[in-house]
Amino acid sequence: MNPSQRRGLLGSALLSLLILLIVGAYYLWGEAWQARILYATFVNLLVVVGLQVFMGNANLTSFSHAAFMGIAAYAAAICVTPVAMKAISLPDAPWGLNAFALSPWTSALIALGITGFLGLLTGLFIARLTGVGVTIVSIAILVIVHSIFLHRTDIFKGNQALFGIPKVLDLPQITALVILAIFGARWFRESRFGLQLRACADDEIGARAMGVNVYRTRLVAWVLGTMFFAVAGIAYAFFLGTISARPFYFNFVFLTVAMLILGGLRSVSGAVFGTLLISIGLETIRWLETGPEILGIQLPQMLGLSGLMLGVVIVGVMAFLPSGLMGNREIEDIIRPKRQETP
Amino acid sequence: MLEIQDLKVTHGPIEAVHGIALTVAEGACVTLLGPNGAGKTSTLSAITGTARSTGLIRLAGTDISRLPVEARAKRGIAISPEGRRIFSNLTVRENLVMGAAGRRDKSAIGSDIRGWFEQFPILGERRDQPAGTLSGGEQQMLAIARALMSRPRILLLDEPSLGLAPQITARIFDIIGDLKRQGITILLVEQNATAAIELSDYVYVLNNGLISSEGPAERYGDGSALMDQITGVHG
Repeated sequence: MNPSQRRGLLGSALLSLLILLIVGAYYLWGEAWQARILYATFVNLLVVVGLQVFMGNANLTSFSHAAFMGIAAYAAAICVTPVAMKAISLPDAPWGLNAFALSPWTSALIALGITGFLGLLTGLFIARLTGVGVTIVSIAILVIVHSIFLHRTDIFKGNQALFGIPKVLDLPQITALVILAIFGARWFRESRFGLQLRACADDEIGARAMGVNVYRTRLVAWVLGTMFFAVAGIAYAFFLGTISARPFYFNFVFLTVAMLILGGLRSVSGAVFGTLLISIGLETIRWLETGPEILGIQLPQMLGLSGLMLGVVIVGVMAFLPSGLMGNREIEDIIRPKRQETP
Repeated sequence: MLEIQDLKVTHGPIEAVHGIALTVAEGACVTLLGPNGAGKTSTLSAITGTARSTGLIRLAGTDISRLPVEARAKRGIAISPEGRRIFSNLTVRENLVMGAAGRRDKSAIGSDIRGWFEQFPILGERRDQPAGTLSGGEQQMLAIARALMSRPRILLLDEPSLGLAPQITARIFDIIGDLKRQGITILLVEQNATAAIELSDYVYVLNNGLISSEGPAERYGDGSALMDQITGVHG
């Protein structure tokens, strides 16, 4: 293990500790309704950490993550829902999709497999592109997948809910998944591939002149990223019990991208902090939206404030803090600065 | 080690090098001198494979002129690019690891890195700093060390003295002299003729994309006449 990987382990452990503290605080003092918010935050955290794997290391912007999350969520949901329930929720499903039901584990593996395959297929195109090309193609993927979700109502129910999905996961399991994701993303960042990808982001020709296969490196990161989105999608479906096409579209894409940008996309710690900060901020704003009474002053109802604030955060960070709160730093760089002495 | 024949280099519609030949023997230090725009960097780009070219480029006997950039790197070509283009967001140590991207012998990579930190203690001190925070001279040392991390057959140095203060330039040329004594094959591109000629075995002078003169380094004396020609100073 080299020094960067050792620091990576330390940083991942510190971030995991933070996650465990939050979960511990919930179990000690939290109220039942907050479990749902915490679970949703952790699903977002899986997505944002997955975004960091490709966007952060390659320094390329992609918007298709909601599509991959949706594909995994639908695949897992369709596999795991009991036949009796599917007779009601998916009466017209083709190819016998409503005639079988699988165990949660098998369903999750199938969902991961399908998403991974589609990730590889799209990656073959994405990895050949640079700059704005990646962004445009990723938007196209998002739009294509969303319109399939909307219009193949016999399989996906469109904007109606696909219901009857058994509740498989709860807070302890998603906490474990989040911690695994943090370790995984950080391990990738400090790995050969992660390092080569970051080098390409600095100087692509320079990296190629050192023998780096840029195409292969980007492809690996892209496919790995889609696996994080797939896990998030499965976790989403396995907790909520119902899914529909709407959550897997632009609103969610902007929310998660704002989280990554606020924290700073170059580091895994940035992804974690950005997600937590925006989640806390949004909950506060949602409460303000309802028009509460603070210190005897009755505030007006301000519907739409959360969307507005999200936009303000993106613009504000882009203008004043272009590399986010963390920039190039990871959590351990703040707590234990890097040594400067001679070897 | 390196043999080039009838090399023409094009950037889009413009031909920058119009058919040159040069040879670098194993263990030799050969310098390519010339003013701005003579085609020096274009020649190096053709060797590394980042510029389009026609003609023959033979490395250790095999033609590499049709190979992609990455494959040439793996066959033993390493460059310290013009303007010290290091990976500025990566740490000093990570830059060195990147230099060894084509190697698989992990433990030897680690000991090579430690070796460079001993040779350039200042890099060792700053090993965990982003390379972009180094001074110009330190970045040049890092660029050379990074290139040598691949244990190349030939080291291409593109204007290592560019934009550096005179004492720093002297230090960099000392380092290049040390590398030569260690038996590393070097193709050096420079404008600083006097310093380059002092440590070269053979010199090519490039003007407007053609070789205008060549010969053993001794033939050019201390290089001051060439220096005037390159910098356009007469007198």
